[in-house]
Amino acid sequence: MSDPLVFMMGKFETQILTDRDYFESHVWVQTTGDLSRIGFTSYAVRLLQDVYFLDWQIDPETAVRHKQAIGEIESSKAVSTLYAPADGRLVRFNEALQTDPSLINVDNYERGWLYELSTTAVPLSPEQYLQKLEAGWEQTQRILKSQFNE
Amino acid sequence: MAGRSLTVVISQAPGKNPVKRHLEEEIALRLMLSGTAEVSVVPHLYDMTSDHTGMLWLRSLKGNLVVLGWLYPRAMRWILDRHGVKGKVGESKLNLAENDDDDDDDEQRTGETSDSVPSQGIGSLNAPNRLVYVIDLRDNPDPETYLTEIGRIAETTSVPLVQLTGLGTKSLLPVLGVNSLTNTDSTGHLTGHGLPSNGTSKSLSIDLAALTTAGSGKDATAFPTVIDGLDVRRRWYPVIDYSRCTNCMECIDFCLFGVYGVDGVDRILVEQQDNCKKGCPACSRVCPVNAIFFPEHKTPAIAGAEGGLVGDFKIDLSKLFGAPSPLDMAILERDHELVADGRAAVGAAVGIPKRQCGQPAKPRDDLDDLMDGLDSLDL
Repeated sequence: MSDPLVFMMGKFETQILTDRDYFESHVWVQTTGDLSRIGFTSYAVRLLQDVYFLDWQIDPETAVRHKQAIGEIESSKAVSTLYAPADGRLVRFNEALQTDPSLINVDNYERGWLYELSTTAVPLSPEQYLQKLEAGWEQTQRILKSQFNE
Repeated sequence: MAGRSLTVVISQAPGKNPVKRHLEEEIALRLMLSGTAEVSVVPHLYDMTSDHTGMLWLRSLKGNLVVLGWLYPRAMRWILDRHGVKGKVGESKLNLAENDDDDDDDEQRTGETSDSVPSQGIGSLNAPNRLVYVIDLRDNPDPETYLTEIGRIAETTSVPLVQLTGLGTKSLLPVLGVNSLTNTDSTGHLTGHGLPSNGTSKSLSIDLAALTTAGSGKDATAFPTVIDGLDVRRRWYPVIDYSRCTNCMECIDFCLFGVYGVDGVDRILVEQQDNCKKGCPACSRVCPVNAIFFPEHKTPAIAGAEGGLVGDFKIDLSKLFGAPSPLDMAILERDHELVADGRAAVGAAVGIPKRQCGQPAKPRDDLDDLMDGLDSLDL
C-alpha cells in the first residue's frame, strides 16, 4: 500500500488509506469476491468522536436501496441516521460492535468495520474521495456550524 | 371566594413508566389538596379516538384549560384542536419556544381564530373565547415547576367574584378592576378593560353561561375525574398545525392511502386517521410549510418540536452520511408502505407536483445563480 493521502480538517490531519475504495457518504469499501466490507473513514470518526450507541433497523440478508435508512448512531458529539451507500443486499453486520461500539474509535479501518454489502455500485478511488472532501469542506463547515446557531 | 374557572387535565403517558406515573400522581395530588384548580386525568392525548370517553370529557370542559402531557406543546395543541377542544393560545412560561408565536393584543374578538398573528395559515375554526395552555411534562422532572406555573396561570386567569343581586341567576359576575365594567354589548356579554388604558390592555369577554357551569360550587377537595386508558391502543396518524397550513392540498395528492380529506368548508382534514401506515412520516416531508407532524416520531422536527431543542447540543451528521433530500426520503417511505400493502411502488411518478412543467427550459440567468447560492448556504 502506498502512503496514505492526507486531508486537513482544520488543524486535524485525517488519513485516507490507499489500499481501499470509498463511497461519498464517508465510508471505506473493501471488496472480496461478492462481498464489500464497509466501515467509517477517519473523517467520519473525527466528526463523531466517541461512539456511544449504534443501532441497526434492518435484518441481515435484506435488500437495500441507495440512501435507504438502515440504522442510527449516537456519539458524544453527534447523532445521525445511517444510510445505505448504494443499492444492493446487506448481508451481515459486525457482531463485535453490538457489545463494543467503541471499536469504531479504536480501529475504524480494521476491527471496527460496520457491515458487509453485496453491490455492483462503483466506489470512489482514494484520490476521488480526497477530491470530494476538498470540494465539500466549505459547505460541510457551514452545515456543522449552522446547527449551533439555530 | 375566588372563582375557579381553571381546569387542569393530566394526559397520562402511554405505557407503565413508573417515573412518569409518579410525576402525574404527584401533580394531581398536590393540585387537589391546594384547590388551585379542578383536576382530571385522561389517557395519552394522541392515542385517544375522537369518541373516547376521555375526549368527550375534554370537549365538555368549559373555561380555561391547562393540559399537561407527554408530547410537544405544539403537538398537544393541534391534537386537541382536531378533536374539538379549542381555545385561544395560553402562553405558558414553561414553553419558551412556543412563545415565539406571540399574540398581538386582540381587541374584542369573539370566536375568531386562535392565532392573532397574521400568519399565512388558515387557522383554527370557531375557537371559543377561553384560554388553553399546553405544557410538556418531559421538560422537567420536578413537580414544583409545574405546580408553580399552574399557580401563576390560575392567578392570571381567575378574577375575584362579587355577587350581584337582581340578575335573576345564581351566577357570580366578575368585577374587572377599577375601570368601567358595565359595558354590555348586544349579545349580552360583559366586556370591560381591567387594566390602565395605555394601549396594552386586553379586553375580556365573559360568557355568563360558562361561568355558571365553572363556578358551580365544587369544593377544594373534590376528587379528580380519572378516565382510564385500558381500552386505548397506540395509534399513528398525522396532525396538522393549522397556524401554518395554507390549504395547498399537496398532502392529499401525495398520500395514496386515503388518510387526508376535506371538511365541509373545503379545508384539509386528517380524515381517516387509522388508514395511516404505522411509522410512515412521508407526508410530513412533502408539506411545503412543515405544517404536518407525527407526535410520536423520533425526530423532534417531525414530532412537532419548535425550532431547535433547548439542551440538544449534538450535531446531526445525517446530511454528511448520505441522507436523501426530504422529497426523496418521502418517496422511498411511501414506496415502502405501498409494497408492504401489496401494491406497486410508484417512485416519483404520482402525487408530486411539478412546478412550471409547462414552461420551456431557458438558459441559466442571474436569478438561477442567486437561488443556487442561497440554497448552498443551507440556512
